[in-house]
Amino acid sequence: MAEATTHPTAIAEIRKNRFRILVCVDGSDESYRGLRYAARLGAGEDADIILLYVRPTDQGLRTGGLQVRVARENMLNWGLELPGITYLKKGRDMLIETEEQAVLWDQQSAHTDVDGDPLGDNKIEYRNENGKSIVLKLKTASSVAGGIIDQYDLGPYNLIILGSTEGQGSFVKSLWDPAVAEKVAVHAPCSVCISRDLETGHGKLLCTDGSDRAMDMVVKASDLAKRDGSKISVMSVAIDENSQFEAQSSVDKAAALLQSRGIVPSTAFIKMGNPVEEIIKAGADYSFIVLGDTGKTGLKRFFMGSVAFKVMEHANNSVMVIR
Amino acid sequence: MNFPKATVNEIHDKLEGTPLGSLFDLLSDFSIHYVWEKRWFFISLAVGAVMVLGPLPEGLTEEGMIVLAMSVMATIMFITAPIPLPGVALLIVLGQIFLLGIDSSTVAKTLWNDSVLFILGSLMLAVAVVKQKLDRRIAWLIVRMTGTRTSRVCFGISAVSGLLASFIGEHTVAAMMLPVGITLVTLTSDDPRKVRNLAAVLLFSIAYGASVAGIGTPSGGARNAIMIGYWREFFYDPSNPETAKYIIDYVRWMTFAYPMFLIQLPFVTLILFFTFKPEYRDLSRAVVKLRHQVESEGAMNRADWVSIFLFFLVLLGWIFVSDDVGMGTIAVLGATTFLVAGLVKWEDINSGVNWGVVLLYGAAISLGIEMKDTGAAKWVAESFLSMLSPLGANEGFGLWAAVSVLTTAVTNTMSNGAAVAVLGPVVLNMADVAGESPVIIGFITAVSSAFAYLTVVGTPACTIVYASGYLKTTDFLAVGWKMALTSTTIMLLAAWLYWPLLGV
Repeated sequence: MAEATTHPTAIAEIRKNRFRILVCVDGSDESYRGLRYAARLGAGEDADIILLYVRPTDQGLRTGGLQVRVARENMLNWGLELPGITYLKKGRDMLIETEEQAVLWDQQSAHTDVDGDPLGDNKIEYRNENGKSIVLKLKTASSVAGGIIDQYDLGPYNLIILGSTEGQGSFVKSLWDPAVAEKVAVHAPCSVCISRDLETGHGKLLCTDGSDRAMDMVVKASDLAKRDGSKISVMSVAIDENSQFEAQSSVDKAAALLQSRGIVPSTAFIKMGNPVEEIIKAGADYSFIVLGDTGKTGLKRFFMGSVAFKVMEHANNSVMVIR
Repeated sequence: MNFPKATVNEIHDKLEGTPLGSLFDLLSDFSIHYVWEKRWFFISLAVGAVMVLGPLPEGLTEEGMIVLAMSVMATIMFITAPIPLPGVALLIVLGQIFLLGIDSSTVAKTLWNDSVLFILGSLMLAVAVVKQKLDRRIAWLIVRMTGTRTSRVCFGISAVSGLLASFIGEHTVAAMMLPVGITLVTLTSDDPRKVRNLAAVLLFSIAYGASVAGIGTPSGGARNAIMIGYWREFFYDPSNPETAKYIIDYVRWMTFAYPMFLIQLPFVTLILFFTFKPEYRDLSRAVVKLRHQVESEGAMNRADWVSIFLFFLVLLGWIFVSDDVGMGTIAVLGATTFLVAGLVKWEDINSGVNWGVVLLYGAAISLGIEMKDTGAAKWVAESFLSMLSPLGANEGFGLWAAVSVLTTAVTNTMSNGAAVAVLGPVVLNMADVAGESPVIIGFITAVSSAFAYLTVVGTPACTIVYASGYLKTTDFLAVGWKMALTSTTIMLLAAWLYWPLLGV
């Protein structure tokens, strides 16, 4: 398979037509729940699933100047597997459960040294005769979020799925591990899905404000819905009574667009109040809250934040930011 | 400089759409991300600027204020790491040259002393020792002595990890013993879920066993060497024989601290069992398999014996001659002999040691000495004491407890060596001002800096066992506070009942 497609531009050309999902695994249950969802989304022949584990590079001061790699090499000497590899293998085994014949797929592995670290970046690719591939990738980067973003540049990807494990031991965690999920969601150029106690089967709640961007989001969300077969509801929030009419028309517009794409929304409603609070409240009954990125970049996104990011930060269930 | 708003808008309109305009857009996008990533760097700069430019507090010289500001900035950067930490070390060097106007050669001289040489040598030695692959034999020795009961195996692992760590440092032992712990876990069951608590008990036995032992001897950790260096630098006056008691030699340190390690040891196993309750009470299955693995290695070969011999030679050197030639010298000598004997490759040492850390400790110690020379340390110590006096903690037992709590808090957020390097000058001055023994206060600081059981980053051993992937950050909290409480109690009892007997 590989012989025809080694040229970077050729690869990019092929990838453009494929639906590529990047799933970030860190060994937590949540990340595997995200993976199970990815398996459902990526069941089609034109979808690729890439499993990624990012290991932060050593910070010598924390280990008193002795690099952790000394311990890792010692583990390898004993024939023990490093955590990243076990996590990825577990993910692969989960995918094989759904795609029985995947074990027979063509397999190739690649290895890249990083900063002279012999463990470096490792990649195993499984590919079937139709070109559908499953990739396991172990990456070394200075920070987990940075590594995930870097991986996008090697992509491109249509969707990044990652588990959010905040909430447990949050104080210490937030000090040392500034929420990876949030960082990725802010910086990633593609859609991001943050899985949080993910339980599929309750459908998606699409939040729209009637803008052109929101309409783009509806189009993309309907493509996703065709893949995972989930139900869609539409909502919009009016800030006060005067804008109720506007909100209603946004909802109608989105619902009409969905219908024109062959999807019948299960409900469509409006709420009044603070958008962030209302969306979080209404979204609790669904598997996902789906939001469009406001399209602000750099400075503006940083200072003003946006409804999407606030919802992402405070919601209790999974959130998808569509770009 | 303030431009009228209209002008700004005009310029903006003119540039809109031109290549120059897009360049500005790009720059503003880039810089905002840059500033956000490095926010702590700029915050610490701002804090430093406010301190230096603000009114000078009474009793502090201008130089003292600059050094104090540099220390505060360095501490913020140590904790938040907005730039690579060795970069902080370079900033400290540059700050001394540019802000204090000290000659660069003079600054360079303060970067190296025996403590720093010790850190350098012991890190190289650590890689050399780990590379000897004696871990399997040590593991086998442990299970042969303890039998197969989980509790006894765990105690054996803590004890042996501790004994080794007390001489060659906890990071060495953690790196060496980590595979032993994991092998025992994986040989018991392949499913990590079924052995979660067993894994926690075994791995924490290594990490905490090594951590409580790191205080045992001066060579157990960089912090000990740093504290010994500070005592000598601050209180020893060659013209006054009275002050010779401030030179703490290897054996004298051990009489102070080694009993504390031995007393803490059984508590490690007790607390771990009480907290995690392992799934398997007996490890006979794993032990049998481990025996097969070791037997397949064959008998000890000549290289093994030579490395054990060299190892003991280094220990003897530390105990008997380090007071004359310096601990750093022995450490460097040990590493060199391993290289000469061909037991370790330079490439392994080169990639296994983070050289920036050596630089960092050098800079931190240099700053600490500057704190003392400019009187900044004394001023901070006095302010602290006046803050503590309403609580009755400005002398005696209260002060000890306060110093211990302060050190424990700081050490949980940064590496313990850095904590001692930063806090040392201040607490030793506090002892001086309050009329307490600097030796006792110094010991309390050095020993408390090992109490970073709460976080993954607190002690090297914790960070290394965490890299195995078997532990969660919450595990450290669950068991860490019990350990910290026990250790603090034992230490304060020692400071109260035992250390005064040794004549300080």
